[in-house]
Amino acid sequence: MTEIKKQKFKNNLKAYFSKPANIITVLFLVLLIVAVVIPLFTLLIGSFKINGNQEALYTGIPDGSFTIAHWKELLTSKDFDYAQIKFWDPLFKSCLMSLLSCLVAVGFGGTVAWFITRSDLPFKKFISTVFVFPYIMPAWSMAMFWENFFKNTAINAGKGILQAVTGICVPESVVYGFFPCAMCLGLHYAPFAYILIGGILRNMDANLEEAATVLKASRLKILTRVTLPIVMPALISTVLLVFSSSISAFTVPFFLNKSSINSGNNFISISVQMRSLINSGFTKGQGYVIAIVLMIFSLAIITLNNWFTGKRKSFTTVTGKSGQVSLVKLGKARMVIAVILVVIVAFFAIMPMVSFAMESLLEVPGDLSTFTLKYWLSTEPFEGSNKGDTIGILRSGIMWAAMGRSLLLSLLVSLIAGTFGILIGYAVSHKRGSKAASLLSDIAFLPYLIPAMSFGAVYLALSYTKGFTWLDGSFFLLLLVGAFKFMPFASRTGTNAMLQLSGEIEEAAVITGTPWWKRMTRVLFPIQKSSFMSGYLLPFISCMREMSLFVLLAASYTTLVTTVLQEYSRTGLTQASNAINLLIIVFVLVIQYVVNKLTGASIDKGVGG
Amino acid sequence: MPKIILENVTKRFDKFVAVENLNMVIEDREFITLLGPSGCGKTTTLRMIAGLETPTEGKITIGDEVVFDSERGINLSPAKRDIGFLFQNYALWPHMTVYQNIAFGLENLKWPKDEIRKRVTEMLQMMKIEEFEKRYPSELSGGQQQRVAIARTLAPKPKVLFMDEPLSNLDAKLRLEMRTELKRLHVDTDSTFVYVTHDQLEAMTLATRVCLIKNGLLQQYAPPLEVYNKPANLFVADFVGNPTMNMLQGKAKKIDDTHAEVEFLGHKVKFESEVPFASFNEKVVVGIRPEFIQVDEGPYEGEIYATLPAGMETTVKLEVNKEIVTSMKFGAVDYQYGAKVKFDITGSGVILFDADTTDRFAMGKVTLIK
Repeated sequence: MTEIKKQKFKNNLKAYFSKPANIITVLFLVLLIVAVVIPLFTLLIGSFKINGNQEALYTGIPDGSFTIAHWKELLTSKDFDYAQIKFWDPLFKSCLMSLLSCLVAVGFGGTVAWFITRSDLPFKKFISTVFVFPYIMPAWSMAMFWENFFKNTAINAGKGILQAVTGICVPESVVYGFFPCAMCLGLHYAPFAYILIGGILRNMDANLEEAATVLKASRLKILTRVTLPIVMPALISTVLLVFSSSISAFTVPFFLNKSSINSGNNFISISVQMRSLINSGFTKGQGYVIAIVLMIFSLAIITLNNWFTGKRKSFTTVTGKSGQVSLVKLGKARMVIAVILVVIVAFFAIMPMVSFAMESLLEVPGDLSTFTLKYWLSTEPFEGSNKGDTIGILRSGIMWAAMGRSLLLSLLVSLIAGTFGILIGYAVSHKRGSKAASLLSDIAFLPYLIPAMSFGAVYLALSYTKGFTWLDGSFFLLLLVGAFKFMPFASRTGTNAMLQLSGEIEEAAVITGTPWWKRMTRVLFPIQKSSFMSGYLLPFISCMREMSLFVLLAASYTTLVTTVLQEYSRTGLTQASNAINLLIIVFVLVIQYVVNKLTGASIDKGVGG
Repeated sequence: MPKIILENVTKRFDKFVAVENLNMVIEDREFITLLGPSGCGKTTTLRMIAGLETPTEGKITIGDEVVFDSERGINLSPAKRDIGFLFQNYALWPHMTVYQNIAFGLENLKWPKDEIRKRVTEMLQMMKIEEFEKRYPSELSGGQQQRVAIARTLAPKPKVLFMDEPLSNLDAKLRLEMRTELKRLHVDTDSTFVYVTHDQLEAMTLATRVCLIKNGLLQQYAPPLEVYNKPANLFVADFVGNPTMNMLQGKAKKIDDTHAEVEFLGHKVKFESEVPFASFNEKVVVGIRPEFIQVDEGPYEGEIYATLPAGMETTVKLEVNKEIVTSMKFGAVDYQYGAKVKFDITGSGVILFDADTTDRFAMGKVTLIK
């Protein structure tokens, strides 16, 4: 009896592992648990323990011992209003900032999405192409552009474009601090909202609106009673995702929290706070506490999101035959709206690049008579630079070496994340509905929910842990972090692409005896080439322009091109940092364009999903 | 009251012509089906009359009102055309309950609340869906959704009702049931129905008149039985009727205005028309409905190719002179493959089509010469 049972178990096991989908599921579950769940756990522990001698000195508790001191001090300490200033204020203001940026992103992105999908607006192609630029650009570009545009001599910040052209000096609170942070994040995420909401509008059955038209509903009523409620889940998803991205955004508040005159306008966001706590050896644990709080925020938001989209009025019946979409006629307003949109979209997409170019070419910002190429081409160190190594960036060995490393890193990250994404997609689509599959898909998506800074912090904590110290500052650590952080995009695209393929396509190959490897490369991949390529493209672009994730982990500022940029900006080498930023943007745009033309891959296939 | 007139209506999408120069009059209280293969322009025609699509050229009148005129730049919105529209996929609003879906149109007409309540209840009873009032569309089956869609469309009592393949998403049994109900509805509601379908049986059984369209061109516009018995051309003959009409290549020689000698199936027959030929061509296609071919007795002979018994009737396929001839026989019979059987061509419904223009030019009976 037991012998039979044993035999049966053995055979079951054998049968289970004879299917590639099962092997992949088990393999990736183990891999992801090791790479994502364990570091998360390390972080959690880190927040409950004394990390290093400095911290031991600061708290008076021996190194390595268990404590709730970090939580207690950061959340409740009343000494000099410590908790208020270091935690609650930044958190509250960051929430407000994120709300405002949601409003901007959804309002702007949603409006454009509606015009593009539902009206007879002209220049759609131009608008929809250019509109996503700000999302392809590094997140801080909008912040740098904002500064370049609005800064003025009245607040001691050099002449910006607005002042140079019109002479207007805006108050400091428009240039630095809370308001510009919210605006820049909003504008950066507007294309994201556009892609999500536009996707739903495009898939939404136009008959639903037509049915209301026939029943004599006014245009306003159709919008408020039919269209909006149906796109509401997408709208809510967008709001939640933009909120969670904004609250954990690091680069934008980092660039715009300068306060040139002592006006008390200093805005420290919760993520900037986290970074300064972690970077100080005395308060690492408190930094981990913030990382965990941010993650709890994201998790709560995603839970909310699932709750909203999973309700009784589930909108699964939304898609249908919508081949014949009758577009809303804008009538006389058509041209006016089109021109306004083109101007706005072009302003936020193209002007940043123009401004970066300008800034990098002028010695005194806003003064055209000081035109110079030296920030690009000089072989001598700049005057006033406190670093002897800062020469014209096109000649700077440091810059090129960093660029090379960034490129190599992004390439490897995209290869790993993209391939893993396809494999996960394969496994999840094959084992659809099974517990293992949904677990795999959830864990693979987990890194998306973890703010980039926290994710960096997770691995930082790991690299300080006994047994893993060899990771500290290594290129391999960056690769590990990048590959797992950007895998969610790839696994989402991979899963969606695989789900679109009917099972019979592969089964037809199975029956003819084609081995698994050949089925993947010769059958499945070619059919969904453009989608899969999007799964490679997105991690590449994201990694190339990523800063927050690597800023804690890079061994020195010379490691990656984005860290070089950040260091130049921090030390006041504005021209050089603008030049590098322009270089990154052009590089990313060119790559995205070439890949799109060659393979049909595009970023809007990746997000949303 | 509402008579619908289409004059020279054309719709072009870029270079592709969806509907070409369509002229059509739909009388009050008619039940019209627009019939044709997919992509022939029938849905576009319906949507143009409803105002959901703008014609490139032409004029459309509903009742006394010109709702579209390309020359005068008139284009009334669908809301002002006093119509109802039933969509193929029902287009029920997923975020509204059944009650809210049905009441929506009445709210737009600013009906008082208790009137709306009364009317919706009436519609729910009529469609036998009272118990689903508080459910959401995603919680209903296809047939139930269909009923809700009909109730929603009928609630404001539209004078004209447009339907775009409303039964195509239902299973065969339910489709039959709904057909009967639609026909009853037409009588009960006293309105004009325009119905799009690619199912010839549906078109035949429902309509008072059938409008056949091919590649955007009107082929025939006549009552169902006329379309069946006197198809205007080969396309109509082929599209309508199941099993399809036998179409046999032949050669004709004119004797006088009503008589001709026709060679087909290796035989020579005398063709006798009741009315003078409309035109004449020596190259003909002889069209014979399967029910006019009677097996077992007669002067012709064929070999059994296949028999398809369906219970009530049997389709018998014969091979005659290397061509396949389809015949219908009442009751269930079975033949041995390859068996030789006699058959006759009966009735006065044999049609001669011009092989070049494909148009019908004569109809009559045939008698064997040799």
